[in-house]
Amino acid sequence: MSNPANNWQSPEAEKRLAKRYASERRFKLLGLSAVGLSMAFLVFLIGTMLIGGLGGIDWAFLTGSDSTEPDSAGVWGAVKGSLLTMIVTIVLALPMGVLAAVYLEEFAPRNRWIDMVEVSINNLAAVPSIIFGLLGLAVFINFLGMPRSSPLVGGMTLALMTMPVIVIAGRNAIKAVPPSIRDAALAVGASRVQTVFHHVLPLALPGILTGAIIGMARALGETAPLLMIGMRAFVSTPPSGITDPATVLPMQIFLWSDEVDRAFVQNTSAAILVLLAFLLTMNGFAIYLRNKFETRW
Amino acid sequence: MTLPALLVLIAGLGLIGWLVARAKAQRLNTGRNALHSLPGHHGWYLALWIMLPALAGVLLWGAVSPGLIHTAVLADPAAASLPAFDLERDAILSEAYTLAEDPGASAFNPGAEQLVPAVIAAKSKFGAMGAALALILAFAGGGFGYTRLSASFQARTKVERVVLVLLLAASLLAVLTTVGIIASLLFESGIFFSKVSPIEFIFGTHWSPANGSFGAVPLFWGTIFIGAIIAMVVAIPLGLMSAIYLTQYAHPNVRRWMKPMLEILAGIPTVVYGYFAALTVAPMVRDFAVMMGFDNPSTESALAAGLVMGIMIIPFVSSMADDSIAAVPQAMRDGSLAMGATRSETIKKVLIPAALPGIVAGVMLAISRAIGETMIVVMAAGATANLSANPFASMTTVTFQIVQLLTGDQEFDSAKTLSAFALGLVLFGVTLILNIIALRVVKRFREAYE
Repeated sequence: MSNPANNWQSPEAEKRLAKRYASERRFKLLGLSAVGLSMAFLVFLIGTMLIGGLGGIDWAFLTGSDSTEPDSAGVWGAVKGSLLTMIVTIVLALPMGVLAAVYLEEFAPRNRWIDMVEVSINNLAAVPSIIFGLLGLAVFINFLGMPRSSPLVGGMTLALMTMPVIVIAGRNAIKAVPPSIRDAALAVGASRVQTVFHHVLPLALPGILTGAIIGMARALGETAPLLMIGMRAFVSTPPSGITDPATVLPMQIFLWSDEVDRAFVQNTSAAILVLLAFLLTMNGFAIYLRNKFETRW
Repeated sequence: MTLPALLVLIAGLGLIGWLVARAKAQRLNTGRNALHSLPGHHGWYLALWIMLPALAGVLLWGAVSPGLIHTAVLADPAAASLPAFDLERDAILSEAYTLAEDPGASAFNPGAEQLVPAVIAAKSKFGAMGAALALILAFAGGGFGYTRLSASFQARTKVERVVLVLLLAASLLAVLTTVGIIASLLFESGIFFSKVSPIEFIFGTHWSPANGSFGAVPLFWGTIFIGAIIAMVVAIPLGLMSAIYLTQYAHPNVRRWMKPMLEILAGIPTVVYGYFAALTVAPMVRDFAVMMGFDNPSTESALAAGLVMGIMIIPFVSSMADDSIAAVPQAMRDGSLAMGATRSETIKKVLIPAALPGIVAGVMLAISRAIGETMIVVMAAGATANLSANPFASMTTVTFQIVQLLTGDQEFDSAKTLSAFALGLVLFGVTLILNIIALRVVKRFREAYE
């Protein structure tokens, strides 16, 4: 062991190096296969639904309502229920979420109360959705006596669930607006409220909307909380208002998957394709908004 | 006057007030710097003075008037024939109210129909009084607001104070939701625990609500086994290795495409996963169990639900791992590489240990997500409470039982339905603790490298 330079050429060193390179390749392959396996599962899942459901989608399926006959059952009743529920959700969650985000980011003093608000918003974003269903059942239906199974109660429950998502996205978007914009507005005599509503909020709007759409997409696919408030009624005519009994698209999938009749399998897969198409459109729109209006300051 | 019409009327008055005040402010604006606030602010000031007192009046009247209507109906001659017994009388009265709203409804008690005219009369009388009260308040508020308007009046400051109160109220809604969740869960569980002892609930090993035994240990075990063990065995290696590959090895273009693709997994609704688990994965798992030599395995197995749940969780683990690996300073990586370590050695010996707190926090968030997951277990895991470590056995979870207990048609205050709220309380408590610890770890970890 006189000259270290010799060690690099010795057969033991070469062997050790080869072993290390082999382990490097194994590790890289392991990573690649993890990504590949996840992707394969995604392809398998969507492929199964496409093969099972594509044949079931036709005009009658898209315009019909639920029925005990698999051949005449359609998704329009459930889609309309979903739309009404989503309208209630966005009308409540978007203004509330944006206003809360503005307050917390621009006006809130630093004290224990505001810390409590922040902690509770961060936690609400991670609370299991079924807990919101229990809240809706206990407060909206049993305590306030609102109509069971209605898009009104469903929308209110989902709004409570979506609001924290919008607040968090909104705060990030508002934080990204550079202080120089605020300073410029304040310097020409605008009040803080005017600065925020005339200058900061319009610039943060694309970011807020992206967050809102993603939150809405999550709410659209949600089933568990709506199960709690009884939106699993058999509805053979589409609901005409937000207080009528209704069902939503994910719930229709759940109900059909429970049917004994094997012919409903195709309907279930077809309804899943319709739901995935909605979600894909919403997420695509969110990505488009982000790319189109994203500003690097 | 109906409520929506009254609200529209109040809004209309507010609009008129806005226009009037703005016009007055414009008249006062005699020259440069004559006005303290913009005319629009004067408009909003008057509109608020018209609408807020009127709305407060409507709310107050809404709280008071049912009692007044009740007294008036009872004082009516038609009510003299009502039975003196409170419960019976209230039943007839509530039917009369329903009939007054909707003449087509069928009445069970014959006495109810005679009361309908009295109810309608009382309702219209007190409705008119309420509307009059709201309008008086609107005009009084408007009149007061109008007299305050002058060139030097600081309308902007006043209006913005109201805006700030509105913003504060919106952010308090989040606290209100949390309080509402805790209060409703505690309240209903309190009733449950007055019927069933908490000791039996937490330590009992037999769960059969139909027979009145509420030992929840098998549910807790099923939840942990499916959500925290099987799902994590799938999600942690796949999520972590995907994150490592995508951040350290993949070409930026590949990464730009693969990362959103991976996130699609998190965006697929859980009901779709549940259907997939029940229809496709569960039969495969059963065939596999038969091949392994198990007798008569059930179609609903913990393994099928846990596997699919694990796939769903992959993006959570991988994006948290991604963030925490990216937060490790570049200098640490460069130092390791400069010493002659290969990339995989750097990752294993330097990056992962440095990023470990963030990764652990991500795993905790993923567990809290998995144990609160409902639809996959409802559709694939089974209903029988089973205390076993056999992944091919049918197992039930906390969320499954909540759904099971609350979707039947049973009376609301039985121990059976109330136990769902006790389970919800446990679930909420556990996920809350996991989330708080994880968020705190992430925060401290970020500070350490900044």
